[in-house]
Amino acid sequence: MAVYRRGYQRYNEGLTSHAARLMVMPRFTWERMLSQKFVLILLVVSMFWPLLCAGFVYLANHSELWQGFDGGFKKFLAINGNFFSIFMKAQSVYALILASVAGPGLIAPDLANNALPLYFSRPLTRGDYILSRMIVLLGLLSMVTIVPGLLLFGMQAGMAGGDWFWQNWYLGAAILAGFALYIVTVSLVALTSSAYVKWRVVAGAMVLAFFFLLAGAAEMVNEVFRVEWASVFNIGYAMNTVWAGMLDLEIPDEKPGVWECAIFIGALAAALLALLARKLRAVEVVK
Amino acid sequence: MSPVIEVDSLRVKLGRREILQGISCRLGISGAGKAIGLLGPNGAGKSTLIQALLGFHKPSAGRARILGFDCHSQAREVKARIGYMPENDSFIGDMTAVAFLRLMAEISGLPKAAALEKAHEVLFHVGLGESRYRQIGTYSLGMKQMAKLAQAIVHGPELVILDEPTNGLDPAARQRMLQLIKEMKEQHGMNVLLCSHLLTDVELVCDEVVILKDGKIVHQSDLEAERKSNRRFVQLDVNGDDRNLAAALREVGAEGISEAPGQWRIVLPADVEIGSLWRLAARERLQIRKLTHRKDTLEEIFLKAVGHIRQTPGATPAEVPAHGRL
Repeated sequence: MAVYRRGYQRYNEGLTSHAARLMVMPRFTWERMLSQKFVLILLVVSMFWPLLCAGFVYLANHSELWQGFDGGFKKFLAINGNFFSIFMKAQSVYALILASVAGPGLIAPDLANNALPLYFSRPLTRGDYILSRMIVLLGLLSMVTIVPGLLLFGMQAGMAGGDWFWQNWYLGAAILAGFALYIVTVSLVALTSSAYVKWRVVAGAMVLAFFFLLAGAAEMVNEVFRVEWASVFNIGYAMNTVWAGMLDLEIPDEKPGVWECAIFIGALAAALLALLARKLRAVEVVK
Repeated sequence: MSPVIEVDSLRVKLGRREILQGISCRLGISGAGKAIGLLGPNGAGKSTLIQALLGFHKPSAGRARILGFDCHSQAREVKARIGYMPENDSFIGDMTAVAFLRLMAEISGLPKAAALEKAHEVLFHVGLGESRYRQIGTYSLGMKQMAKLAQAIVHGPELVILDEPTNGLDPAARQRMLQLIKEMKEQHGMNVLLCSHLLTDVELVCDEVVILKDGKIVHQSDLEAERKSNRRFVQLDVNGDDRNLAAALREVGAEGISEAPGQWRIVLPADVEIGSLWRLAARERLQIRKLTHRKDTLEEIFLKAVGHIRQTPGATPAEVPAHGRL
């Protein structure tokens, strides 16, 4: 029977699981997000560098293509921690730009339209809401970080053989864990910015500014007090140091080490989460 | 039979202010499809009570239960069984109504296909069928109110909490909204908690009423019982010699007192028909000029409960008891 003739009947059948409900908001948001041309263009552009790196891996594993070159070129073509570190640094810039474009539209419209009471009057807690919104960004940013990173690693392992894989498996783990840490941090910055700044453009600019301002402040402290420890507040530096530790690369002794940087990133993530939870309430209470 | 809403010494503090000051009540009967009116002057604590029931505020003492589940510790179970229509505009402006309803239904736990079906169904039900593919941001105020009602019932909840549902509606839309609320309880068996400033809305729709003032319940009553009790109270104006009317009324089992020459107040027992008054008047050769059923309107109940009047106009003066029961 046509729906307009049937009339309203209460729904009395089975309900979906809590995990399925958590994925509802990301599904709706991805649908809308991927219909935006700018997001699609950014996604396509962010694939150029991984494709270039894939060509590099192919070249490195086909010595017949560079037989006339000297040993220095062979060293240049080595696929090791340094190669993946460069790949991750470049790809993280795309992820940051993507987060600054996609992130501001996630929470600000809900706050502007007073939609939070509708979500929170359903079986969805504040934690669930934040997680749902995080999943949107985590999914999107993984497409330009973890997915191409692991594909590159898999391509290299496939071409170089089992021996290379067993000697370098930690590189794959570093790509996964390093990028995961990065995209969680970037997502939290983008969501917090979206929760506190109404205008999308300003919120997007805030995401980028957050990274550059902290870096600038850290360098200023280093210069004024002639110290090195303030570098830990530079998120870019802190993230690169943690990645370097995971990829088994050398870290300068005078600068903050892996653990200091990891603790700073953890504390920053906790602070951002607390700020988000503070802002996201079903009703605003005037005390 | 278990109540729909059970509040026990509930206290809610917002900052330093105690908004709800230890209120207790049992409202509705689970599965009976009753409507409960929540009334009170501005600042009485109505919205805070609703928000506490929705689990938005943590009680500083006492507890609130909906359909047997604690509103704070079992919030997920409670929220799976309720629908909420907020007072203020709440929607996602750049979504079509059908997408918005589908999203809300899926978050409430409906599978994809069922959510889409119910979204269409409920939009036709509230009269937005023809505009269901328009973005909600482009809707008029009345249409937005209907969309808010639609999202509150799309998942078929057992209890629907409506906060000022007729706000900003023109008379025709208001009638439509009240009709929909009546249908929700009478045809679909939903329980309704209706918070409104419009006493006539509550009177038209609700079976029970709770009146709050300064964070306390000052009156709670069964409106249906009040209506029935008042139905037998008659005011009669007659022309002619009415000296024997009191005795004549006693003959048929009724009681009557003369308030002024030709003006009578009569209490009819349940088994005495109103027609017997006409027969008595004819026998006593009295001309009936006016015969009205007198009853306390909700407005009078409300004004007495909040202390604006001490008694029903024209009724025998009576003290408003300290606990607020009238």
